Amino acid sequence: MRSILLEGLAVAAIGAAVALGANALSPRGLKLGRDYFPPRLQAQSSGTNLSPKAPGGSTNSAAELLAAKIRAFGLEPAESNRVSQLFNDPRREADLIVFIDARDEKDYKQGHIPGALEFYDPYRDKYLDTVAPVCRIAQRVVVYCHGGDECDDSIQAALTLRDVLHVPKENLLVYGGGFTEWCSNGLPVEIGERNSGQMRR
Amino acid sequence: MAIRWLLGLYFVYMGLNKALHPDLFLKLVRQYDLTSNPCFLNAIAAGLPWFEVFCGLLLLAGVAVRGAALMLLLMLMAFTPLVLHRALTLAAANAQHLCLVKFDCGCGTGEVFACNKLVENCLLMLVSAWLLTGRGRRLSLWFSPFEAACHSGGTDSHVS
Repeated sequence: MRSILLEGLAVAAIGAAVALGANALSPRGLKLGRDYFPPRLQAQSSGTNLSPKAPGGSTNSAAELLAAKIRAFGLEPAESNRVSQLFNDPRREADLIVFIDARDEKDYKQGHIPGALEFYDPYRDKYLDTVAPVCRIAQRVVVYCHGGDECDDSIQAALTLRDVLHVPKENLLVYGGGFTEWCSNGLPVEIGERNSGQMRR
Repeated sequence: MAIRWLLGLYFVYMGLNKALHPDLFLKLVRQYDLTSNPCFLNAIAAGLPWFEVFCGLLLLAGVAVRGAALMLLLMLMAFTPLVLHRALTLAAANAQHLCLVKFDCGCGTGEVFACNKLVENCLLMLVSAWLLTGRGRRLSLWFSPFEAACHSGGTDSHVS
């Protein structure tokens, strides 16, 4: 029995060292000291103050709750009509209106809003050099992820753009409906790299 | 021996699935509300998958088998109630029967039915406990490194 416990302790100690070492060496490893979920986001995710009531007393729609959640972070939500207008605005061609895709690389490659820049916040260092200069000169930056309940990635990315890259908050929009809504509206989707020219409907 | 290898392969596979996407695993671990300390949360998400891979490799090689089995058993005993709790929460929220709840428990297999996962974990615990009894020595490199130290003059545990 004693030998089993000793073995277990040895496995635990060596295993923990190996595990943390492997994480440090892995290109996709996590930074242990970084807060991937800022405290405000955690507080809001728990549902605090995110249940506004409609004037008639009934609970508002999921879209309104999501918009309230986005506003609770000091960010401005954008609905699909507004996002479509911005997409069709000629300023987008000059990068004065920029779309930021906050989903991971795999999802981005499978399809994104045409011309959107990839910016997956957990690995933000990889994208900062590309995203920072474009966002700083843009007049409007629209951030999106999958949308709906899984909107935390776009909120997190928008917070990084605002707080780390100092993109003016009045220029930032969070598209709550996200890529899911974009696709369901039948809008164009680009696959592969940015400006690859490969489109799917 | 085959059971030891199967268990080892299982944990190497599951561990690598998570270790290669620690960002996704971090989001899943966070759903369990284990801690509000980000460093601790990151350490769990960053370390646990590689730790599983490490234990799996030990089982495959037949090194410190009982120590590795003990660690796996402890992890399963810790996480299975958490999976059950989360499944019950989801079942209550969606007014579903527990066995109809399908979710990604962060176990490395994507979305699974809760009951299937719980049964699977119970089987894994049984196998780990079985290895703890000292079975699976065949073709092991160094089955029990501490056995000789604890039982001076005991039998040699190296089996090739």
